[in-house]
Amino acid sequence: MTTLEKALTQFDAAERASHRHSALHSVDARAKLIVTLLYIVTLLSVGSQQLPTLIIFAIFPIVMCTMAGVGYDTVALRSLYTLPFIAFVGMFNPILDNTPMLYIGGTAISRGWVDFASIIVRGLLAVQMVVLMVITSGFNNVCRALRSLGLPSVFTTQLMLLHRYIYVLIGEAIDMDRARRARSYGRQRYGLKMWAIFVGQLLVRTVNRARRIHRSMLSRGFNGEIRAFKITSWRRRDTLFTMVIASAIIICRFINWDRLLSFLG
Amino acid sequence: MHMADALVSPPVAGVAAVAAVTLLAVAARKVKHTDNDAIVPLMGVMGAFVFAAQMINFTIPGTGSSGHIVGGILLGAILGPWGAFLTLASVIVVQCLVFADGGLMALGCNLINMAACSTLIAYPLIYRPIAGESRSTWRVCTAAVAACFIGLELGALAVTIETELSGVTALPFDKFLGLMASIHALIGIGEGLATAAVLYFLRLYTPDILAGYNTSVGSTAKSLKKGLIALLTITAILAATFTWIASSHPDGLEWSIERIIGSSDLPSRSDTVSGTLESIQSATTLLPDYSATWAGLVGCVIVVALVWLLCRIITALRKTN
Repeated sequence: MTTLEKALTQFDAAERASHRHSALHSVDARAKLIVTLLYIVTLLSVGSQQLPTLIIFAIFPIVMCTMAGVGYDTVALRSLYTLPFIAFVGMFNPILDNTPMLYIGGTAISRGWVDFASIIVRGLLAVQMVVLMVITSGFNNVCRALRSLGLPSVFTTQLMLLHRYIYVLIGEAIDMDRARRARSYGRQRYGLKMWAIFVGQLLVRTVNRARRIHRSMLSRGFNGEIRAFKITSWRRRDTLFTMVIASAIIICRFINWDRLLSFLG
Repeated sequence: MHMADALVSPPVAGVAAVAAVTLLAVAARKVKHTDNDAIVPLMGVMGAFVFAAQMINFTIPGTGSSGHIVGGILLGAILGPWGAFLTLASVIVVQCLVFADGGLMALGCNLINMAACSTLIAYPLIYRPIAGESRSTWRVCTAAVAACFIGLELGALAVTIETELSGVTALPFDKFLGLMASIHALIGIGEGLATAAVLYFLRLYTPDILAGYNTSVGSTAKSLKKGLIALLTITAILAATFTWIASSHPDGLEWSIERIIGSSDLPSRSDTVSGTLESIQSATTLLPDYSATWAGLVGCVIVVALVWLLCRIITALRKTN
């Protein structure tokens, strides 16, 4: 499967996941967006030496996965895509900071390693919450939630149009790539000249398509804003969800988990 | 260059988010009041094009590796700086939400580093004046390479500043900047050549696409002068930064990881800006910072594992029902 086909599959999987029915799916996207933002801000405010508190924060995506009827392993696996850049920035901490911090028996673990682990845990958990929000709300609902939180309508319309056209354009690119592969006798890679012609042609086709689409949108009454097919209203359960999860996040942040649970270790 | 949430602190993410939302609001207003009605759907499709084009890699001769287009300068040439900013910003948001590429809290930082640096600084100040409206191939190619290079270097500088202000990495500012700048210098040249190649193709076969942005830029000679002044100014700023690095560390950009390990006189974290931010953070935290213990760590892992097990049982029971 090519990168283009993989991307299309991933898009499709995320969109299909958002059409399921579960306790978390039924919560308003705005409530999930508020909770996700609060979770990430709180997570980032935890000091890098407070690794136990960061680990406790993993409870939220685990519980919310259960609420959504999604396996935690699926969400955790998707968060691993972010590892390379996080690890790149964090990998210097173990090299540069050798101050002993944790002792396992007679072995000391340096502050640098604890910092490194904190960066990784924090990065993965933040991504997991965003993935959960998107796969239980759908991309368009997240855009509407962003709009209701004050983002300009031109930008949210742009996001929705982009999301829709990605399917069309990736499909077009797959067709062109397949045709090129069929004629290339096993050559898999593009040289710069070949690549420029390929991408240039894709761009020309794209612009021509955009012109056709714009004309047909105008003929159907498009006035610069995409209207929602189903407008959801904020219900009591959304308030309850936001209050409960937000309170739990804040409580988790201010409990000294290290002292509380050290008897288990 | 996508920054993850783990690499930024809440104050840095907050400031960047405010700056990015302000830029988005200005861009939205500019696009709304443009005379070109077709720009909104064109932006949508162009965003999708950049998305698809980023997945098609070209081979970099002699290296065995491959690269892809980022698209800021190309979008600028078709949509203008503000349209290009909105379009690239939407691509970054989709990458964040659907592909988990870059964090939600770090979104403001990513919009500034990747979208604003190339479309709002490098495009109008470097590409536009140098390329002008002439049909000269070498000028378009030079403009594309210079603009991509400067745009990416500015982005790398912004990433370094944001990461250091957040106090996440123990790597000193100058060394981190040296590493980021040298990596992105190569990427910038590759990106510039790729952008130049696509622009050359478009000028040759469908020049009307590039005519979508018809803002007068004055006479060609005047524009070239303006572009060169901007290029020299930005280069001088970057050069001053790198000279400072080179003077304080004789190894300059060619430092090695072995040397870092061997170094014993690294600045302590409290001496740096991150140290100041850390002290502010600790002063405003309700509970004082504490050091983790092994027993506490194991205890927390056990609790999370128990919760996970419980959730698995609930899911299994739900499925059997």
